[in-house]
Amino acid sequence: MNINNANTISPETLRTEYVSPENCVFSKNENGFLAAEIKGKEYKRVILTRSLPLNFPSDYICISDIEKNELGIVEHMADFPSEQQALMNEELDQRYYCPVITKIEGIKEKMGHFYFDVMIGDFKKSFAVRDISKSIRQHGKAIDLIDIDGNRFRILDFEAIPSKSRRKLEPYLY
Amino acid sequence: MQTKAVFDLTQKSELCRGELIFEGGEIRAVIDGETVFCRNLDGVEELVQRTYVGCGMLELVTEKENSQMAGSIPVCRFSMSCVNEIGEFCKVVNHYIKTGEETEISREDFRVCQKCGRHFIKGMDVCLFCVEKSYLFRRTVGMLKSYMPSLALAGILLTLATASTALLPVLNAKLVDDYFNNPAVTGDAAVKGVLTIVVLIGLTQVLGQVLKIFSQRRTNKVSSAMSNELRIMMYDKVQRLSLSSMSKKTAGDLMKRVTRDTEVVKRFVTEQGMYAVEQLIMFTAILIILISISPLLTFLVFVPVPAVILAIRGFWKFIHLRYEKQWRCDSRSNSVLHDIVRGIRVVKTFGSEEREIKKFDALCRRLAEISKSNEQLWARVFPFLSFFMGIGEFFVLYFGGRMVLEGTISLGELLEFTLFLAYIYQPLRWVSTLPRRLGEVATSLIKIYEILDEKQISEDAENSVPAKLNGDIVFDNVRFGYKAYEPVLKDVSFTVKQGEMIGLVGHSGAGKSTLINLIMRLYDVDEGSITIGGENIKNMSQSEYREKIGVVFQETFLFAGTVYDNIAYARSNAEAGEVIAAAKAANAHEFIMKLPDGYNTVVGEDGHNLSGGERQRISIARAVLRNPEILILDEATSALDPETESAIQEALARLVKGRTTFAIAHRLATLRNANRLIVIEKGRIAESGTHRELLMQDGIYAKLVMAQRQTAKLTNKQI
Repeated sequence: MNINNANTISPETLRTEYVSPENCVFSKNENGFLAAEIKGKEYKRVILTRSLPLNFPSDYICISDIEKNELGIVEHMADFPSEQQALMNEELDQRYYCPVITKIEGIKEKMGHFYFDVMIGDFKKSFAVRDISKSIRQHGKAIDLIDIDGNRFRILDFEAIPSKSRRKLEPYLY
Repeated sequence: MQTKAVFDLTQKSELCRGELIFEGGEIRAVIDGETVFCRNLDGVEELVQRTYVGCGMLELVTEKENSQMAGSIPVCRFSMSCVNEIGEFCKVVNHYIKTGEETEISREDFRVCQKCGRHFIKGMDVCLFCVEKSYLFRRTVGMLKSYMPSLALAGILLTLATASTALLPVLNAKLVDDYFNNPAVTGDAAVKGVLTIVVLIGLTQVLGQVLKIFSQRRTNKVSSAMSNELRIMMYDKVQRLSLSSMSKKTAGDLMKRVTRDTEVVKRFVTEQGMYAVEQLIMFTAILIILISISPLLTFLVFVPVPAVILAIRGFWKFIHLRYEKQWRCDSRSNSVLHDIVRGIRVVKTFGSEEREIKKFDALCRRLAEISKSNEQLWARVFPFLSFFMGIGEFFVLYFGGRMVLEGTISLGELLEFTLFLAYIYQPLRWVSTLPRRLGEVATSLIKIYEILDEKQISEDAENSVPAKLNGDIVFDNVRFGYKAYEPVLKDVSFTVKQGEMIGLVGHSGAGKSTLINLIMRLYDVDEGSITIGGENIKNMSQSEYREKIGVVFQETFLFAGTVYDNIAYARSNAEAGEVIAAAKAANAHEFIMKLPDGYNTVVGEDGHNLSGGERQRISIARAVLRNPEILILDEATSALDPETESAIQEALARLVKGRTTFAIAHRLATLRNANRLIVIEKGRIAESGTHRELLMQDGIYAKLVMAQRQTAKLTNKQI
């Protein structure tokens, strides 16, 4: 997916309400949740959602209120000052949890379900996957797995994990 | 009383072992023995569980400060592994906030295996990781009990057939020793003797085949009867499952379980089950014969066997992963092809044929590469394995030959021995592939037992009372969610007088259809109650209750059959006159009479195509025939053009008269006959009153009306 296309459609045409550092300032409310002042209006609590979490985790971030009414879109987080980016990242970290798998200890098939034993850093984690072909998503070098409970796990670079781990997962990557 | 639940994430997204404790009106969150959060519930309005992507957060919503939820206080974070348990924890706490009563946490949805600590897969009564395959087979053998006499007879016939076939080497040995290699017997006597043995060989082989046919016929009969019984049991159970259980599985999945999985079990019993018996008998009998001929030669035969079986199993494990890869690549290319063919109009409209061809071409090439590599490997390795499996034969020829020369055994006995070897290697090769076959049938069995063991959630209460629906309907603080942690309806309370027509209004996803599902008792409420004439609908007999409810949906499903069958579906014992009268009341009679065979016209998938309006009128006719006490109209006219809609509205007005009716409609004009309108917004009742009253309130309903008027104006202008 390309972020800059020659046939780019202008935001005016699509009526996308992009916000900029000039008209959108994030802060924290007294309970530690993200708040924002957008185009002069104060919102005591806002939530951020990634539009393209796999392709562009730091771009096209949708700002909405707690009732999920959209208030605007941050086109590129990098356009914002670093302390504003830190606030946005903190909120996104709270909303997206996808621990990184560093090693696959084993994959066992039991009655059509697949049981994974993996290492997440130093922490050993076991999880089950119901339909393995639908639960694995490849995007670039990364691989995402979704278990039966709805937890997500990520292998950042399939080529970089130990070869033994690679061999265990490789048959299921088609 | 103390209520506990676990959580597993710190605020900084680190994994932890945390515990939530609710006791004496106070909530505590503890991580590794250290309290990280503690607050009593004074001033707390609600405990809310928010689910995000791969995680969630528990928040306390405090009174007076909940505008924009800025007053929410974070309690803890958790991964999705804890979501059900925390959802139940929330229910306990929220019940306490509302009533001051302490209740116990329900652990039905989050059972954990005592042995491995893994979560049970939803709907399963056993941990699939720990369940022994023997448990499944023991249970299946239990189901086969009534077929045991037939199976035993099939087994006896098969044993006799095997014994007859196994006489071949013995008779061959006799032929060699008594006539070919016996100078004492010559001339006519030898020819007669040879002829006798040849005839005997022929007879035993024919007898063996005949017995096999009889055995096979009996086995087929048993396996067909058993798979038929399994299918009927499955189908019966599927029909009785609650809608919530059904919605967890797709129609395709359920169909596969009823048809394919039962077929796998049948095939296993027919092919593998009897084959196992045959091979086992053959193996034991031949082993005894071989030992009786020469214990030394028998030992030599078995020397390479363990190593070769281990090699085959190891090779299978290795090749299995390669075939898995091939299977997935094949499946992927099939699904891409399926997608392209189904969406061919879109592909052509966007002119993306070349792109799609390239995509499919790349997948096919990849599949061909994997397939070629696997076949080459198989072709290279398997002949070697087969050769090593039979290496004992060389030992037998060498040592057996020496024994013949030394006169320890006769030439006939050596011949008999070598012929029996072919029989003994066959079961050994079969045993090496058994794990794969067992795995396949175990998967099907677990899927069958999963359905058979599923609990019927909305079962009748023990002392269920006859359903009387002639009274006021009262929703009292109803709370419900399809998932424990996501309430769709919250604190819904209202009363509907008998005979009143209520219009349910609201945005998509507000909870209108859920409310209807609760009235139909397709689901039970999580909290609160729904009563009719003072009786909780949970206490009423379900079949009686549903008999008195009529529904007209937006989409009408017509079963394959005649128009008459489809109308009479509402009441199978209805007389022809009643069916025609119902069709007339539904304004359907006129179009039915224009069909080639009138009421006998076949409709449904392979039958006559009816338009949306015609289908809808059949649906109304069904409802009229049912003569329900409560009528539900779920977007009954939304998919129709204005002219057809007015014909149907007329029929509906006739049907609604005097019945308690709930009607959902996005087109608000269709609710003009309603006595009262209830506006649902985000799972709660936002407004309630007549059309005029709600317009005066200038709230959600008034905005919806204005929006529809503007759309209508724009459409008219464009026209």
